[in-house]
Amino acid sequence: MVIRREKEIKIIYVVTIALFLAFLAVPILRLFGESFLAEEGIGLENYISVLAGKGFGNAFGNSIVISLSSALISTILAFFLAYSIQYTNLASGYKKWIRLLAVLPMLLPTITYGFAIIYSFGKQGLLTKLLGVQLFDIYGFGGLLFGYVIYTLPISFLLILNTMGYIDKKFMIVSRVMGDNGIKTFFQTVFRPLLGTLAASMVQCFFLCFTDYGIPASVGGRYEVIATVLYNEMLGSIPDFQQGAVVAMLMLVPSIVSIALLRYLERYNIRYNKISTVELRKNAARDWFCGIGSAVILIALLSVFLVIFIVPFVQEWPYQTQFTLEHLQAVLQDNSLTMVYRNSIFVAVATAVLGLLITYGAALATARSSIKQKYKAAINSIALITNTIPGMVIGIAYMLIFSGTPLQNTFWLMILCNVVHFFSTPYLMMKNSLEKLNSSWETTASLMGDTWVKTIVRIVTPNMKSTILEVFSYYFVNAMVTVSAVIFIAGARTMVLTTKIKELQYYTKFNEVFVLSLFILGTNLIIKGVLSYMIQRENKKKEKEQ
Amino acid sequence: MLELKNIKKSYDGVPVLKNIDLSIADGEIVSILGPSGCGKTTLLNIILGLTDTDSGKILFNGEDITNVPMEKRGFNIVFQDYALFPNLNVYQNITYGLKNKPDLSTKEEVNDLIALLGLQPHLDKKIDQLSGGQKQRVALAKTMVMKPKILLLDEPLSALDGVIKESIKEKIKQIARDYHLTTIIVTHDPEEALTLSDKVLIVNEGCISQYGAPEEIITMPQNAFIKEFILNQLEIKRNNIFALFQQKTTVQAV
Repeated sequence: MVIRREKEIKIIYVVTIALFLAFLAVPILRLFGESFLAEEGIGLENYISVLAGKGFGNAFGNSIVISLSSALISTILAFFLAYSIQYTNLASGYKKWIRLLAVLPMLLPTITYGFAIIYSFGKQGLLTKLLGVQLFDIYGFGGLLFGYVIYTLPISFLLILNTMGYIDKKFMIVSRVMGDNGIKTFFQTVFRPLLGTLAASMVQCFFLCFTDYGIPASVGGRYEVIATVLYNEMLGSIPDFQQGAVVAMLMLVPSIVSIALLRYLERYNIRYNKISTVELRKNAARDWFCGIGSAVILIALLSVFLVIFIVPFVQEWPYQTQFTLEHLQAVLQDNSLTMVYRNSIFVAVATAVLGLLITYGAALATARSSIKQKYKAAINSIALITNTIPGMVIGIAYMLIFSGTPLQNTFWLMILCNVVHFFSTPYLMMKNSLEKLNSSWETTASLMGDTWVKTIVRIVTPNMKSTILEVFSYYFVNAMVTVSAVIFIAGARTMVLTTKIKELQYYTKFNEVFVLSLFILGTNLIIKGVLSYMIQRENKKKEKEQ
Repeated sequence: MLELKNIKKSYDGVPVLKNIDLSIADGEIVSILGPSGCGKTTLLNIILGLTDTDSGKILFNGEDITNVPMEKRGFNIVFQDYALFPNLNVYQNITYGLKNKPDLSTKEEVNDLIALLGLQPHLDKKIDQLSGGQKQRVALAKTMVMKPKILLLDEPLSALDGVIKESIKEKIKQIARDYHLTTIIVTHDPEEALTLSDKVLIVNEGCISQYGAPEEIITMPQNAFIKEFILNQLEIKRNNIFALFQQKTTVQAV
């Protein structure tokens, strides 16, 4: 019971809740309802017919098998890369490159991965030609697996690298002094403290593979997964919304299980009170092994993307390989394609700005107000739920509920969809930073005659600069690469790059596909580069002062 | 004069303050002393206006201010962690309030405060470059610029070490004297409370255990709690220090 009235923050709270009611709760409930709507009234009929159908069980099983396999491979590779950075004496410049290259695929949409794989490992593929042999069947398990690993490795890598940074390396010395051998030291002081995170990485990767649409859309082929089933039910040749709704609901089940598991695994994380800087033992063999191993992993991973720099710049792949700028020029002169690029930029910037405002407001309400705990819990649950719901499910729910309304096929719907879909991570980033700021600032400033808004503008925001930039960058890049949700709600005039790529695939215009992918990559590189530079400058400034 | 009448406060049904009656004269330095969890910070926040009372009244110069919001009471506080703004430099921190209320202090008054607290050499520094004692002095200056009717200090010395502690103590005394300012200090350290203030309010389990001048507390402790918690602690300290100096003299004698 504080006399401070906090009217502004209550308004922000109500607006946030209303927004998520309208653009999350209602659409998902509507989808839930749709799945029970059958010809003879309400019932489980749709569920029975979906589950009894042979295709669904098969796709569901495939999805689980391939998602688990990808998750395992990604986690092992990511662990290797993170270990090379944290536990070897490799040159710091080399480590910087590992860090940079490992996350590069995040700047491209998953739908591009698939096409890059086809053009690299197909019968006429670039790498097939270079190696003289086709390594695996791209239209099926092999292609999907490769795509999913490229997709999830960066996320797993960031997760593991981060936790590894919080492991106190002094315990390695303790373990050694106590007479442990090398293997035991490794298990006791590196593997065991990371166990929770490794499991979390598995779950997170599983969830991403299970719900991704971009990769199976391009290389799925004969290997049906649940995402393709869902797409075909909704936008295929014979759409069946009710059955689609059932598939969407069933897709939610493993998602919810994954997130529940993640929450459960959190308690297995070992927390060290303090991180001491310790000189790592000299071990040239280990350094060479990790250095070369990391290089091999990254080259294998990134070589796939070589084609997108080559195919659009030759006459006609793979028959006429003279260099040409024809295709690039054709794209630049095609008004419909440049319009799509402008659309994408607009959607990404608007998503970043709106997302920034909403996550900031929501985090202020939970981290820096005296709103009752149970009300704060509502916002935290929203963050958890948005993390659980796959983009495809949100997209389909929007398609059902907003068709026929003025919002149908508008940019605003796509922007709101992105803001809701990607809410969780940036919200938590904001909340964590706000909680770290001194809790008495608002009181002090108000005693100095500030209004709440003034304090936020003059004091809180200047101290949040680097987090604000990070959130902006997160929303922007994700809005640029996402396809799973927007594919269901983009209209002919509101196409963005990723949905256009899907359309170009239909007309087999792969030069354009790759040029547009390059546009996405270039734009993301510029935005990320500029923002990272600004964030680093901000952090350095802080360090210098201390 | 500040008067508290029958102040009660509980959190989730657990009483934190039970029936607090108290009056503080103008220009007095009063310490609120007690073990952690005794309700002393809650009491401070109630006086400040940050926390509502469940029942009871607060009067300032005879006027009922129980329902006057914090920012209208005209009191001010220095928090234990100082709550300085790291994006602003020392001078901008000190004059922060003047941006909202430019007429509150003149340029000379601000300069006098800066001189009194010895902050002249640090004005262009960022907050993170300051030591604990310097931060405390900036926080004091920033609060004094607002010309508070009552100055509240939450554990002002707990984060400081030895010599600096003594010098800040002197500054607090000097400010209270020079500005004839009622000053209320929360502390858990008996030595601090008894050497810094005109009056000490000892709080235990939400009740006033004793309220009086330091001499009274020492010479006429009113109950077992004060004897055991307050006096015993001081006595151990005294004995240790005496023993230390005794030893030194004997060593020198030999």
